Amino acid sequence: MAAMAADDNDKPDLVCHLDSVQGMVDALTSVRWKKHQDAVMELSEHGIVLIVEESGCLQAKVYLKRELFVLYDYSAEGRPRFGVSLGLLVDSLNTFSSPGYTPVIEIQYPGPDMQLLLKSVDSPYACTYAEIRTRIPDTISWDYNFETTGNVPPRFTLKSALLKEAIDDLEWPGSSVEIILKPDPPSVTFRSEGHGDLEIEFPYYGSTELLIGFHCGHLVSHRYKYKFLGAATKHIPSSVLKDNRGSKFTIGRGGMLKIQHLVSVGRIVRNQHFFGDPVTSGNQQPSSRIAYIEFYVKPEEEED
Amino acid sequence: MKFKALLTADGVNLLDKRFLPAMDKVGRICLMYLTKEHTMFLHNLSPSFGGGDGVQCIAQFRKDVIFTDYRISSQNNDRIAFVIDIALLHRALRSAVSILRSGGGGVGDELHIQIKLVKKLPAGAAHALPYLSFETKGYKSAVIHDVPISKPLSRPDVIELQSALDASRDIPETLVQVPDMIHLQNLVDKLRNVGELLNVSITQYGDLHLHVSTSLITVGSEFRKLKVLGIRADAPNANQNLTPSSRIETAIQRGAAQTVQVNMKHLAKSLNCHMSKPDAAFYGIAPMGACLTMIFQFFIPGTRQMDNSISLHCRLPVLDTGSA
Repeated sequence: MAAMAADDNDKPDLVCHLDSVQGMVDALTSVRWKKHQDAVMELSEHGIVLIVEESGCLQAKVYLKRELFVLYDYSAEGRPRFGVSLGLLVDSLNTFSSPGYTPVIEIQYPGPDMQLLLKSVDSPYACTYAEIRTRIPDTISWDYNFETTGNVPPRFTLKSALLKEAIDDLEWPGSSVEIILKPDPPSVTFRSEGHGDLEIEFPYYGSTELLIGFHCGHLVSHRYKYKFLGAATKHIPSSVLKDNRGSKFTIGRGGMLKIQHLVSVGRIVRNQHFFGDPVTSGNQQPSSRIAYIEFYVKPEEEED
Repeated sequence: MKFKALLTADGVNLLDKRFLPAMDKVGRICLMYLTKEHTMFLHNLSPSFGGGDGVQCIAQFRKDVIFTDYRISSQNNDRIAFVIDIALLHRALRSAVSILRSGGGGVGDELHIQIKLVKKLPAGAAHALPYLSFETKGYKSAVIHDVPISKPLSRPDVIELQSALDASRDIPETLVQVPDMIHLQNLVDKLRNVGELLNVSITQYGDLHLHVSTSLITVGSEFRKLKVLGIRADAPNANQNLTPSSRIETAIQRGAAQTVQVNMKHLAKSLNCHMSKPDAAFYGIAPMGACLTMIFQFFIPGTRQMDNSISLHCRLPVLDTGSA
């Protein structure tokens, strides 16, 4: 019994196997808006959440549900959190992927020195590994609790490719962008003033294929810093654009903006069966293997 | 000092499609060394000839692989060496080939590209300068391309070059065959983002271990059970359950492995040799960790037999870490 107890104590908080490194790289890259960026990882029985913050005004979260992993063995009590360099994590995940080869990698936390350990596990004679030093996470300075106004908050969904193009175009006029939702006729307008004026309007009935969903009971208008909107759309993975997915905007209390992207983490072709635990493997249909990316953008303060 | 030869169709293909692009990526300026039997392209062979502490790269062809009607004579035992810009050489070669093609002739038996050393007086210059001249005779026209070269090396310099070349041919005691060159190149491209210094370990058991380590991260790749040339040993059974790093440490303690640290940029540069389309690559560490050697093998087309008429190898300088 004593030996068993010792074994349990030695067991890492999490051991999981991933068969789509590129999908995870895509998901994490979408919240990497600068080269050196710290992130906080939170582990739970439901999956892994990676949180990134900027200047108390922008927060991004990547939700990697346990179903995305071919094996997810979670043994911790509570929710372990640790700080890690997002850049190093993405760069080291990138070393595992190569064209035409999709390895299965094992992610383990913690290692003997509290590291985040990654290693390829699909070949006995070739192994790539990474040991990433972790740190005690910073306390989150500002709480990004997203509270909705009323039962159905103002929201709309735009094709991600179109959104990216629109935000790119809004770069030149100035440093802030006003997002206006009008209920009658239903439309969304992105407006930027500065060196010049640029207004991009998406009428709901004019292009239902582009502006997919829309709900707004009254006129809503808030301004956001361009750099934060840019950060939320700059690295939308090409797979999202190819999949013709939409990005959802929701405006909460005080103008807090939530932008959601969906990134495929499924392998396109499953040409091998991994010996993972079938119970924890989850659904292997690529379409259901989605990582959720959420950005929370605080509005600019109104000038009196 | 005279040199004149006709390029063969195989030689043109080898240089144009494979070796000149590869050598150009390793370094634009190189030494071209012609002897009675061989033609060589040499990078960084010795500090006396413009080489610094960069990657040494040596490509050697038996003369009949690329030339026919080969005539060379010099007072240095019929050896001539000069510095040449590979990009210009490649441009002249491509141009010569295109003239033949546009003239209706293919790169075949009728190929007529003559290459020779000449001295010419450029417009406005007081003295004649040396050139490697390409003379192409198509069906309707003849075109001459002159590639500027350095003054040929003096007799003592050629002797020094030859001894540096002889010294560079030392083969490490243990060589392991790289399993997948494309995968390795891809891996090194990715590792470049992580750090600038790469540790390379090679064991007599047939293990190749590459890793980059900084204060925040260690990333590595281990390839095991590779083909070994030279001194080999059987891996101890206990090896199986160890981590890659401890496996290497144990092997070093047993005297069955060597580790060196090289510049990531040097390794990435050497991997450009893959553009010459070698059939196999072997890595080894010279005695006392003097350098990391890469030997590329070429097979006789359609066989698995080594083609001794072509050789290519690189020697990467080892960074002084104080633990060599």
